[in-house]
Amino acid sequence: MIPSDHFVRFYNEVFKALEARGHECLVAYWRELGRLQSVELADRFRAGGLKAALEYWKRIVIEENCESSIEDHGDYLEFRMIRCPSLSKVLDNDASPCEFYCDHCMGWVEPVMKASGLYAVMDMESRTEPHCTFRVFSDKAKAMEFERKARLLSKPYDAAAAPAGHSTLHRRAADTQHQD
Amino acid sequence: MRYKETGEVHMDFHRTTNGTIGYLRKTYGEQFLDEVFRRTAQDVYRSIHADLKRGDPEQLVEHWSYFFDREKGEYLIERKGEEIRMTVKRCPAIAYLQGRGIEIDPAFCRQTVVVNAALAEGTPFNIVTEVLGGGRCVQTIRRVKK
Repeated sequence: MIPSDHFVRFYNEVFKALEARGHECLVAYWRELGRLQSVELADRFRAGGLKAALEYWKRIVIEENCESSIEDHGDYLEFRMIRCPSLSKVLDNDASPCEFYCDHCMGWVEPVMKASGLYAVMDMESRTEPHCTFRVFSDKAKAMEFERKARLLSKPYDAAAAPAGHSTLHRRAADTQHQD
Repeated sequence: MRYKETGEVHMDFHRTTNGTIGYLRKTYGEQFLDEVFRRTAQDVYRSIHADLKRGDPEQLVEHWSYFFDREKGEYLIERKGEEIRMTVKRCPAIAYLQGRGIEIDPAFCRQTVVVNAALAEGTPFNIVTEVLGGGRCVQTIRRVKK
């Protein structure tokens, strides 16, 4: 048995093996994860909106030993990951990390959000440090406004269309925006 | 032991492992799936593999007992001569999936079979997994070379 504590390190090996076959194989797997998670969560989020999403991530914070804050701002919720347990384990690992490890998160979240009528934005901030800021909005315009401020936006499915230079693709016209 | 997690256990990762195994098996075949397990054994568990290469199986035995205890599995570890045997009476991963009515992929136990076999590669040991069904198995470390 691969212990559940070691799942993310196994996951990281899956990502690397799929990426070695072609980036589209990795993206197709994220899409499958999104499909499976939508079965679990989409009805609940569609019915309960932001409150249901907040409850879900509050439980995940405890179960996955996240060092983080999660706040309800009325028209959006903000999940500020201070120390991501998932990337931390992948980095504390005798095997090398997958370059696109962080993208798996939006890889499953984005299809769930689409199926639920919510809008998520993930600012990864860094691919090599275990912190990020994640917001879920009920209003698309507000989500897009937050996207424009992101330092390192996770857009796994956009990247699939243009895998070359993928890792730098969303570093944004970048830092210019961030100086605002 | 190289990895020794504490705190909450997120058992639902077994559901994702089961789904991932099914996806890889159906999309890319069992050989691809096995290669991922082999890399997990020899790269993620490099420290256990290195100890086995040196003829020391104790980190693997500690790994088995630590994580089966954390996940409340039922097992027995016995030593006899050059053999260490773990008899699993209740696999916590299988029990978790069965308890939620989740269909278990036919290749689910390859995570144990292949990881054990790959850990033994290039070492003085054979590590054999006999899958008995219903969350029961016998995993045996046997020294075959001095």
